Amino acid sequence: MNTTHILSAFDRDLEAVQALVMRMGGLVETALLDAAEALDARDEDMAARVRTGDKAIDALEDQINVECARLIALRAPAAGDLRTVLTVMKIAAALERAGDYAKNLAKRTVVLGQMPQVMGASGSIRRLAKAVVLMLNDALDAYIRRDVKLAEDVRQRDRDIDQMYNSIFREFLTHMMEDPRNIGPCMHLHFIAKNIERVGDHATSVAEQVIYLVTGSLPGEERPKVDTTSSVAARS
Amino acid sequence: MDDMRIVERNVQTHATKITAKGVQVHYGTSHALKDVNVEILENTVTAFIGPSGCGKSTFLRCLNRMNDTIPSCKVTGMIQMDGENIYDPRVDPVQLRAKVGMVFQKPNPFPKSIYDNVAYGPKIHGLTRSKTDLDEVVETSLKKAALWNEVKDRLAAPGTGLSGGQQQRLCIARAIATSPEVLLMDEPCSALDPIATAQVEELISELRSLFSVVIVTHSMQQAARVSQKTAFFHLGNLVEYGETGQVFTTPKDPRTEAYITGRIG
Repeated sequence: MNTTHILSAFDRDLEAVQALVMRMGGLVETALLDAAEALDARDEDMAARVRTGDKAIDALEDQINVECARLIALRAPAAGDLRTVLTVMKIAAALERAGDYAKNLAKRTVVLGQMPQVMGASGSIRRLAKAVVLMLNDALDAYIRRDVKLAEDVRQRDRDIDQMYNSIFREFLTHMMEDPRNIGPCMHLHFIAKNIERVGDHATSVAEQVIYLVTGSLPGEERPKVDTTSSVAARS
Repeated sequence: MDDMRIVERNVQTHATKITAKGVQVHYGTSHALKDVNVEILENTVTAFIGPSGCGKSTFLRCLNRMNDTIPSCKVTGMIQMDGENIYDPRVDPVQLRAKVGMVFQKPNPFPKSIYDNVAYGPKIHGLTRSKTDLDEVVETSLKKAALWNEVKDRLAAPGTGLSGGQQQRLCIARAIATSPEVLLMDEPCSALDPIATAQVEELISELRSLFSVVIVTHSMQQAARVSQKTAFFHLGNLVEYGETGQVFTTPKDPRTEAYITGRIG
């Protein structure tokens, strides 16, 4: 639907909530990239900024929920308008979770600063974070452009994230088996990797909301899953 | 996404009450309805929505041959009720209108007592044998119309002395006094305040257990609230007809979406 409402205030309200979601998305992307960079560079100031920045993300989610409730009460949206409001709320919730993971990454960065560095680990995590942020960025782009094809592409890319996470998992396992002193940092690094992988899942759910928004139904078939770490055991 | 009101989803299981096929209406040279095909189900509230002049009232009036009273109006195509063509020359339109009742936009009680307003239909159609019978019909009709408690002590008072909402419910009582099988309502709430509107809407939901209700409304929210099936008319065409929840969440036709979301369509 690219035609405008007869009541132009309705268009303004709908655009306003979507603009808030985009702003939220921008903050989350920056938080994730900054947190990954802070980890790689062992920059505790930057990590602290990411932690305090999460408040702004949470506040935006609250604001979006309030605006959506107002929209439903005052405008009684139907069809595509209703789906816009519903998807805005779901996407805001996904972004809020992603923001929490960035904050958690920053917290662990401070702890990891006191521990010995694990060779190559923070670089792998940074690459994973970049790939996930790109996914999130594309999912939000697909939302604004109502681009089902791009959304579908994002969904499929979650497979790559899972694969990256698998190899990081194995990498950490190897480090821990080689030297027990690596266990402490590797546990933290593993939680970080797992959390970033979860952000990929949230990006996927944003992409699914795009498909629901445009087509009126959520994609049905199972998403490809290649996270096989649940069946990996440490071999001695 | 099916209907959000899960309890009312099984609407499709009801039998068909009225079948319209290829209905066309001309008023003189103007083509008011173009090839309308629709099935009205039993025990179902069907809402007709659409902008002014889209043909929804015209179609409603075809269902009890009210258009017969307009000389320039020509109806073609077929409308069947329970498998019988209602435009068959052997069908008496007056008898038909006893079976297919109608309630109008403005409450229009007769300038008679409340009792006589309701008793009028059963009397002229000879539906009752005695005064006791008639008293009973009046009482049950007023009860079904949720008006009995408000008027039982002043049945002899003029119907025109009631409030707007009460008058409209009196008109509904009058329409259901002849035990109709279908009740047609042409914007029954547009002259009522929100409380009276809610009362009439509640009444419509209750009446559904007795017969089919077809309602023309300009309020999309009213259609969404009271109906199980919704038909959208535009420029004389029936654009979309479907389960109300589906029409309001995922309409199939872009014209329906433009109309229900308040866009220029």
